[in-house]
Formats: sequence, C-alpha cells, structure tokens
Amino acid sequence: MPKILLVEDNEMNRDMLSRRLVRREFEVVTAATGLEAIEKARSLRPDLILMDLSLPDVDGWEATRRIKGAAETAGIPVIALTAHAMAGDREKALEAGANDYDTKPVEFDRLIQKITTLLGDARRA
Amino acid sequence: MSAEMPDPLGRENEELRQEVRTAREAAEITAQLVAEQFEETERILALFQSANAQREAVLNAASRISIIAADKEGRITLFNRGAEGMLGYAAAEVLGGRTPLDFHLRTEIVARCEELGQIVGEAVEGPGLFMQYARRQMSGEQEWTYVRKDGSHIQVSMSVTGIHSGDGELGGFLCAAMDITHLKRQEERLRQAMTVAESANRTKTTFLANMSHELRTPLNAIIGYSEMLEEEAGDAGLGGFVEDLRKIHTAGKHLLALINDVLDLSKIEAGKVELFVESFSVASMIDDVASTIRPLIEKKENRLEIKVAEGLGTMKSDLMRTRQILFNLLSNAAKFTEKGTITIEAFADASSREEQIVFRVRDTGIGMSPEQIARIFQPFVQADSTTTRKFGGTGLGLTISRTFCRMMGGEVAVESREGHGSTFTVTLPQEVKSKREALEGGGAAERLKPREKASTPRGPNTVLVIDDDPAVHELLANYLEKDGFDVVTASSGEEGIRLALELRPTVITLDILMPGMDGWAVLRALKSNPDTSQIPVVIITIEENRNLGFTLGASDFLVKPVSHLELFDTLRKYKRVSVTGRILVVEDEEETRNLLVRLIRKEGWDVAEAENGRVALDRIAERKPDLIFLDLMMPVMDGFEFVKEIRNREEYQLIPVVVVTAKDLTPEERQWLNGNVYQVFKKGSYNRSELMRQVRELVLRHVSPRPEAGKDVKRGG
Repeated sequence: MPKILLVEDNEMNRDMLSRRLVRREFEVVTAATGLEAIEKARSLRPDLILMDLSLPDVDGWEATRRIKGAAETAGIPVIALTAHAMAGDREKALEAGANDYDTKPVEFDRLIQKITTLLGDARRA
Repeated sequence: MSAEMPDPLGRENEELRQEVRTAREAAEITAQLVAEQFEETERILALFQSANAQREAVLNAASRISIIAADKEGRITLFNRGAEGMLGYAAAEVLGGRTPLDFHLRTEIVARCEELGQIVGEAVEGPGLFMQYARRQMSGEQEWTYVRKDGSHIQVSMSVTGIHSGDGELGGFLCAAMDITHLKRQEERLRQAMTVAESANRTKTTFLANMSHELRTPLNAIIGYSEMLEEEAGDAGLGGFVEDLRKIHTAGKHLLALINDVLDLSKIEAGKVELFVESFSVASMIDDVASTIRPLIEKKENRLEIKVAEGLGTMKSDLMRTRQILFNLLSNAAKFTEKGTITIEAFADASSREEQIVFRVRDTGIGMSPEQIARIFQPFVQADSTTTRKFGGTGLGLTISRTFCRMMGGEVAVESREGHGSTFTVTLPQEVKSKREALEGGGAAERLKPREKASTPRGPNTVLVIDDDPAVHELLANYLEKDGFDVVTASSGEEGIRLALELRPTVITLDILMPGMDGWAVLRALKSNPDTSQIPVVIITIEENRNLGFTLGASDFLVKPVSHLELFDTLRKYKRVSVTGRILVVEDEEETRNLLVRLIRKEGWDVAEAENGRVALDRIAERKPDLIFLDLMMPVMDGFEFVKEIRNREEYQLIPVVVVTAKDLTPEERQWLNGNVYQVFKKGSYNRSELMRQVRELVLRHVSPRPEAGKDVKRGG
C-alpha cells in the first residue's frame, strides 16, 4: 500500500483529504507544519508527499526545497497544493522542486490521477 | 500829345493789382493748407483719443486680470481696474509710490530670486527680478501668491512682459496676473477625491482578493466532505442520501466557480494578472476542456461536437487562461441551450501576417438581441437582469474571457440572433509574446551570435539558398553565417536541385518568383525525389501563398523582406549540434535526469549523468562530452556557476550547452545565458506528459540519431 505524507495545516482539510485517500487504499500519514513535514519525510520515507504551500513555521515552498535538497528524501515525488490561484505560485512550487502542482479545492479524481502517475514513474525510474 | 503819352500810373496800377492778386492767391493757398493742417491735426487727435479710449477700455474691461506696469526702477506706472479689484488698492494709492513687489509674498520673491540667480549666474534682487524675467524673455506663466491690501493671499497665474521704448531699450515691465485661487481649490479637492477613490478601490480589490481566499477554505471542506459522504452513502446503500449530498456538492462547486470569477476580476482590476506562456497541443487542450464541460452540456440534453482542424499542432500561449476562455464560452453556451448542439471548432488562420488560431463556440440556444449583445461584455451585466435569476452566474465570465484574450493579443467576437443561437469566435496569436519576450525580442539573435559562431563546429549545418537575386544571396549568407551555418547559393531552380542532390544540405531556402523554373516547380521536384524529399524547405518569397507552399511540402514560409531574427528563429529548429561522442546530462531531479538519459540513450548515444555542477565537472574531467544538457537550479553547484566554470577553461569553452530549466529567468539572467550557452529551454508545463513531450522534442532537435545506432530506432515514439 503506497504511503502518502499529507502536509496541511487546516485541520478540516487534513481530516477530509486523508479520509478520502484512505478510502482509495493509500496509507496516509500527516504533518501540520513545514518542519514536521521535513522531519516526517526523513523518518517515515513516504512514497509521495502532498504539500500545502501556506504553512506555519516553514512554508511549503521552503519545506519542498529542503526535502528535495536532502539526498535521502530528494527522490520522493512532491505534489504542491495551494489555495492561491495566483500567477507565479505554480512556477514557485516547481522551482522549489515540486514534481507537480494542483489547486485547492482539489478535484479529487484529478489529484488521484496525478498521484498514480507520479507513483508509477517513481517505481519505474 | 498827352493822349499819345504812355500812362506810367496806369502801368503801376496794373502791376500792383497783379501783385495783390498773387498775394491773395498765395494767402488763399496758405489758408487752405492751414485749414487742411487743422483738419489733419483734429483727425489725428481724434484717433489718439479713440486709441486711448480703447486702451483704457481694454485695461478696464480686463477686470478679472490684474495688469500692473512699472518702469525699470520698479515704480508703478499703470494699475488697471482688475488690479484694483484683485489687490484691494486704488490706482491713485500705488502709482509712482509703490513697486509690484509690494503685492507679493516676500518668501516667494526671495526663493524666485535665488532660483533665477542660479540660472543667470548673478545675484538677483528686488524689482530686478521682474526686469530679469523681461530681459530674458522668461515671460511664461508662473504661479505666484499675491498679498492683498487686507493681508489675505490669493493664488495667481502671472506672466511678465518687457516694455520697450522707441529705440528698443527695455524701459520697464508689465505683470499680467489672473486669479486662480478658485481653480487651485478645485484642483486640490479633485486630487483629494481621487486619492480617496483610489484608496477605496484598492481596499475593495484587496478585500475581494482576501475574501475570495477566505471563502475558498471552508468551501474546500464543504466540497470535499460532501463528495466523500456521497461515495460513502453509496457504499453503505443509503441511496436516499446520495442525491441530496450530490446537490450540496454541486452547489459548492457552483459557488466556487462564482468566487473564482470574482477573484479573477479583482486580480484583473488590481493589475495582478501575468501571463504564463508555454507550448501546448491545441487538440489535447480542447479534449481536456471538452471532458470537463461535457457533463454540464449533456445535463440539458445537448450534444457536444468537436471539430479540430488536422495538423493544428501546438500553440504558445497561456494554457490555463486559454482553457478558461473556452470553458467560459462553452459553459455559457450550455447555460442558454436546451436539447440542441454545441460545437467547438479550432483552426489556423494564415491570412494575417501573424499566424493565428481561431476557436469558435457555436450553440443552437436562445440567442441574443442586438441590445443584449451590446451589453454582454460589461462586468456584472448579463443579457438582462432576469437572466441572473433564470440562468445563474455572475455575469463576469465573458468580461474575464475578453480581458484574457486581449492580454494575449487576441480578441473575442460574437454573432447572434434571437432564437437562432450564438457564435463566439476567439482569435489568439499562435505564439503569444509575454511582456518580457516582447521587450527582449529584438536583441535575442544579436546576443546569441558570437558564442554560437565559436561553439558550433562547421560542416554539419549547410543551408542551400535558392534565389535568382544575388543581393538576397549576400544578405542571407551574411545572416546565416553569423548563426553558424555554412551557406551555398544557387541562382536558378535547376542549379538548386543539382546542388541539393550533391550536397544534401541541412535545410533549403527557396524563392518562388524566378525566371525559368519557378520555386513551386523546384519544390515539387525536391519533394518527389526520395534523395531530397527529407530536406526541409523554407520558402522565402514576396507571395503570401502559404497554403500552396505547405501543400507542396514546404516546412516553413517567410515573407520578404525577412529580418535576421525571423530567419534565425525559423532555421534554428533545423540546426543540429554535431555530436560524435558523449552527452552529459546535469540535472538534480532524478526523474527528469532519468527521462533525458533514457531518451538520449534511445537515440544510440553515450550518456553520462551528474546530479549537480560539481559532479558534472568531475565527469567532464573523466571524458569531455560533445553536448551538455544543463539544469539551473541544483544543490552544491548550480547551473550558472557551472557554466562560469567551464567557460573559464579553454579546453571546455566550446562545448555546446543546452539549458533545460523550470526557472523563471530574470532578463539579466537570460542575457547572461544568451551569451554563454547554445539554447535555453524552458520546462514550461507543470503537466508531466507535456513536459515529457517537450523534453523529447528537445532531444530530437539537438541530437541526431547516431548513424550506426540501428535504423529500427523509432524517433519520437
């Protein structure tokens, strides 16, 4: 069962998204801050990270940058999630090293498709 | 005897009479002259009087303009009624005794004296100020403050003019001033009102933007939970709940769409919308939009027809915004159509100078009256106010669509008849120039030249120029050699075909209007011979017959006169880096690196890989590569550092470097790269399959298949 690290500071969104992922037979671990995300990426070695961008302490861009900058976690695919549909956000996310990008509220099927693609690629690579 | 004697008295008499007559005549003439003189004098006096009266009248009539004249010492010689009214002094009080300075704000006079003193280079003071203005003909209107007799201040706009005596000497000056206190006050009030309005508008925009973000967060939960519950209720066999939960979900998504519209509009108003230009396939973009919109269209028993012209290929534009425009038009069509057909068409329009892509959304719905058409692009206004109640929506979709269209250099047009459906036509340039590109456009080729010449090995890139005009040979050769091509020229169609067979050039440029065998015939001949049919032909002509050119197999079409940039942009894609050995891929992201390595290996080449610049330098030291694909954002040593390093070492200087980056380059960075690398490739799309496609295209463009690498390798597969 693929393990997903869901990084999201809003409790309701975290609960909702993790329950929906569990229903689709993913193992879900969560983090509510950027630092927690970096720590859990290292200690739990998830197969994929869903990263909200506006987070307390270290924001999602910086967390992504650090996860991608550390050799042991660099290979974990990251999908950046943000409520900011502002121009520049997705470029910033990709520049930080995110593999893909989606806007919130997520369209669940589209997100699942992106997750599946990235997991498939990670296994093949 | 006496009778015969001459009469001396009589003669004298006669003479006297003569003299008297003469004298009288003279007196009469004199009197006449005197009379005339008097008359003349009187006439002139009358004239003087009327001139004076006129002058007086003018001066007095100008009751709202203060006119004050003074001699060179500053003694007032004239003080008109306007001056009296404006300043509160009577003319009699001031004539002779005062100077115009008395009516000015002292500090202002001091400041102006200082200011003028600096300009003229000598100390200026007192009435000398106005004399200086007059002497230097600096008589233009300036704002001054007048101090009235009662001490109050008024703002005036005043000009100073010199008064010259008959011999041309400057004898004094004249100050004409108009009261602008009222105007100033109004101006100030206006400025304040503007500031208030602007700040209110900013507040409103910021509020809207923030509010929209705030609204999205709870909405996120509503949409997510309702969708989840819908699934769970279905699984648990609670069918009765499914329907209602779906309603919550649908309503939530509708609300989200409305909020997005408002957010878009507030961003447009705040000037915060920037284009993100990337390359994408038109057909797959339309497929994507269609699959999203289809449920909405079919809900009202409508049919969706898609007609995409064959070979439409890719366009360079803002993908998200283009998608949004089409989505808006389609959902609009769906809203106003029932049991009908909605068609989306896409085709290229080559009739204009710039290639354009046309999207047409047609419906068989209720249509619009001319009055309604006139209103539909205005924000917050729908075809009529009852529409909102009946059909929903914010009425912002079309406004937003049109704004996006225009930002990309396109336009949207509408045709409609009540009861007969509507047709919206969107025209977008095939290649949208982002603001930055448009600014830089002109210089790009210029900057690329020197490095290219140095870094591109000669030989593999030969252009055959077929044109009967020797001047064209010279011009094209000049341009192309700078871009690192070898140029061979042919002056006739026959010679061109012969040279094409003999040299097998990388690319051929072909003129159409030539004596004897024309370009069309040459093109036909080249394309029908298997030995030359694979060579790309770029037509360069004054004729605009693109379609015939493409039908006959031309690869590109340029219209004379051709600029260097145009030529460079067109031919660059046919150019290949000569690679005989190894290719180095420098990329920190494993996935992209693997992808590049796989693709290059598939073409039969030897690949080395490095995860950052430092490692790459080690790899180069082991074995010098022939081409480097380089990422910019990497840990340890980034791409910029790396390029600096290798450009500093003579033995590595000529290795061509292709930058592959997702980074948004600043103009400075781009310029620096242009001077130092072969090409910069932007990983534009966040979409993975799109990125793969772009990377594959990049590899194919720069890396020719290794001749011995087996012919069974499928390109672009």
